[in-house]
Amino acid sequence: MSATARAAAPAQFTLEGGTLAFLEPSHDVPLVSFVVALRCGSAVDPDGQSGLARIATRMLRRGAEGLSSEQIDFRVDALGAEMAVDTSSSTVAIHAQVIARNVDPFVELLARLLASPTFPEDELERLKRETVAEIIEARDNDRVIAQKAMQRTFFEGHPYGRNAGGTTESVPRIGRDEVIAFYRRYFVRRNLVIGIAGDMTREHAERAARRLIAGLAEGTAAEDAVVEPKLRPGRRLLLVDKPERTQTQIIVGTMGTLPRDEDHVPLVVANAVFGGTFTSRLMREVRSKRGWSYGASARASIDRHRQAWTMGTFPAAADAGPCLALSVELMDAWIAGGVTPREVAFIQRYLVRSHAFDVDTAPKRLHQALDVELLDLPADYFGGWTQHVQRVTAASASEAVARRIVSENLLCVVVGTASEVLEPLRKAIPGLTEVNVVPFDAE
Amino acid sequence: MGTRSATHHPASKRRDWAETVNGEASSEGARLSYEGPVPFGGETIHRWRLGNGLAVLVLVDTVAPVVAYHSWFRVGSRHERPGKTGLAHLFEHLMFGETENLKAGVFDRKLEESGAETNAATWVDWTYYHELLPADRVKLAVKLEAERMHRLVLREPQVASEKEVVANERRYRVEDDVEGLANELLYKTAFEKHPYRWPTIGWMQDIEGFTPEDCTAFYRTYYAPNNATLIVVGDVRERDLLLAIRDAYGSIPAQPIPAEDVFPEPPQTAERSIELTKPSASEKLLVAFKGPALGDADHTDLTVLSEVLFGGRASRLYRTLIVEKELAIDVRGWVSTFRDPGLYECWVTARGEHTAAEVLPLLDAAFARACDELVSEDELARAKARLELGSLQQLETASGKAEQIGFFETVLGDSTYAFRRVEAFRRTTASDLRRVARRYLQQASRTVLRVVPERAAPPGETAPGEAAPAASAASAAQ
Repeated sequence: MSATARAAAPAQFTLEGGTLAFLEPSHDVPLVSFVVALRCGSAVDPDGQSGLARIATRMLRRGAEGLSSEQIDFRVDALGAEMAVDTSSSTVAIHAQVIARNVDPFVELLARLLASPTFPEDELERLKRETVAEIIEARDNDRVIAQKAMQRTFFEGHPYGRNAGGTTESVPRIGRDEVIAFYRRYFVRRNLVIGIAGDMTREHAERAARRLIAGLAEGTAAEDAVVEPKLRPGRRLLLVDKPERTQTQIIVGTMGTLPRDEDHVPLVVANAVFGGTFTSRLMREVRSKRGWSYGASARASIDRHRQAWTMGTFPAAADAGPCLALSVELMDAWIAGGVTPREVAFIQRYLVRSHAFDVDTAPKRLHQALDVELLDLPADYFGGWTQHVQRVTAASASEAVARRIVSENLLCVVVGTASEVLEPLRKAIPGLTEVNVVPFDAE
Repeated sequence: MGTRSATHHPASKRRDWAETVNGEASSEGARLSYEGPVPFGGETIHRWRLGNGLAVLVLVDTVAPVVAYHSWFRVGSRHERPGKTGLAHLFEHLMFGETENLKAGVFDRKLEESGAETNAATWVDWTYYHELLPADRVKLAVKLEAERMHRLVLREPQVASEKEVVANERRYRVEDDVEGLANELLYKTAFEKHPYRWPTIGWMQDIEGFTPEDCTAFYRTYYAPNNATLIVVGDVRERDLLLAIRDAYGSIPAQPIPAEDVFPEPPQTAERSIELTKPSASEKLLVAFKGPALGDADHTDLTVLSEVLFGGRASRLYRTLIVEKELAIDVRGWVSTFRDPGLYECWVTARGEHTAAEVLPLLDAAFARACDELVSEDELARAKARLELGSLQQLETASGKAEQIGFFETVLGDSTYAFRRVEAFRRTTASDLRRVARRYLQQASRTVLRVVPERAAPPGETAPGEAAPAASAASAAQ
């Protein structure tokens, strides 16, 4: 297959009952990748039961008709396969990969897990204990602590503020009845999107896709009841206090972009100028000139609804105040002054030429197609990416920043040792309206 | 592998072509010689060498319009000395700086402007620099890498700033990371003579003490074409690429590479034990046996055994510690992939209030069983299937292939070892696993490190963040 043909979108078709399937055959490596995704994610978790979508999906491999959890694990390993569950606000997906020669028995196994899970009570209790232990263990990772604190505080009261993995309080509340109800409601043909990429012919992949959904009811697709999130006004500081930190993890966020915004691509281009590459403004000032942080970057996240725009650094405790002050100062200058034609021309060349790496493997091409479907992106979001980027001007990029990035409404989350960094941080943010300090094990 | 490769030029034609173009070579260092084809799965690597000693390995792979360009140097933290640890890694950072023909920052800007991704890595035995470029931009990587191989400019402000960056990287990876700190202490304790005892990122006081002169001396010693290998994988025209490489690198002189001054690690005769008290969610246990070198035939057998014990949800210790006893949340095993004998590391993260003391007897029982009994055919087959999956996953991209070629070429002098290793996995028998268990799972040759959450430390005994020998093993470590 030629490189040009490779860039084409994966084949798409609708299976019986309304399941959408994407197929991307590729014979470069004898592996086959599968994605079985729901058209809903942790945003549908009931209040007080965050983590349900993830737990219910993980339970599929903890017992199926005629197979114990242990037998399933043994079979997956024996086939040279691996399976994982990935949960976000908008989707839950089973990702799997298998050595190509074992693809048929693996499809049979996966089809059985999807169609006939048994949800054994003892396995559910075991999984819940395991999940709580994982949540506690994640507190060893300061960056994860910062990301979780940002998510729950930024989207406080909104479904996007829920932790997709659940909390130590919510997970124990999840019962078998809720797990079964979730499965029956959402593991139905109309709510599934299937992707297959790798060393199979298209005909073989189509048969596999049909086999995967053979035992599922038709049902209906999940409705997206999520309302647009709003950020509380003011400039707020949340310090997550953890003892003996030599360093801080800093994330600064404000409301960002929606892929269907008219100024979405201009904002993404402007963000790349500000903090998207190694030579971006943020990286140059924080790392290259001052050596304050190993990493410095900005990100305009996307989802079905408006997501946060964030920038992150991780300076030494002694540099935390100056580094945060500089970051906010750079952001304010970016909002006020926009980006220059020269900067835009440079970053356009980067974004257009680096697009080759977004589509250089079959699984990457498959994931783009799945993202368009699951995140409700414009149909040509990825396929027309380079053209979208090339249409951006310095004026449109600057206007997008000025319109979308509201510096007055800012949430700064810092993980560090409060006794050392609180005062310097407080002084670093002009116009600070609120300061909160919480322990690092707060959820 | 279904990739098409440039097999249309047989070896004799390549040699003839080299002779033709060598007529126009500007110097002896710029003469190209063809060292032959090497099968890489279903593809072919073509080995070339310049007169100045630079090895060039080319794998034409047209599945995507991209090229991975890797520059591997046979220098790592093993080439440092006490008081100057971390120099190889700091130097890797400095390589992105100013050169005689490029101002500071221009290296990265030129690559970004071409849509390229670039980074680098340093470990005990090697340092490598890599670019991933759109296929039509490969000559930019040739030009930039040749420039910094020979014309780097090292000045005080850049060195000072980069030392700060590396100090921050150390805080991130080690000081504030329990696992990073535990790993560093493990190697410091397990090795007494060999340079593997110090961390590649270096001790903080060493990082703070480096001067531009240290960096310049290091550069002049190790950054020479005869100490490097270029790996190019992707959609390239081989001859155009080689001419570009010849023109860019041919004038760089070879230089004498100093003989290594490394002491082999003496045999360990008694268990060493250490405790680390840090703020942490749970206890951690790290048991590390002295292991084989990567090139040792035992390495593949021990890797398969480790997969039986720790790999995947069906492995013995996953089932015992995570599923059945619920004592742990994470179990891992890894045989270090070093040129000289390293460690076989076994890592367990205890769950909640459970302790390393509860875990250790179960680990010991699993080790004893591996020494006493043959693993079942089912277990062996599962381990092999998982290792095969992992090997294939590393070959999914041009960068992945280049990394496999460069790593094994640099550490073992065998660019195709990734495939020979998979073949060795397939040949491994249950008997081989029991043999390596008996050879390496020796209590006297192991180091045991326990991470104790600060809340659980007896008051006044160990200061937070300090490491202390465990009372039971303090004498054994003398």
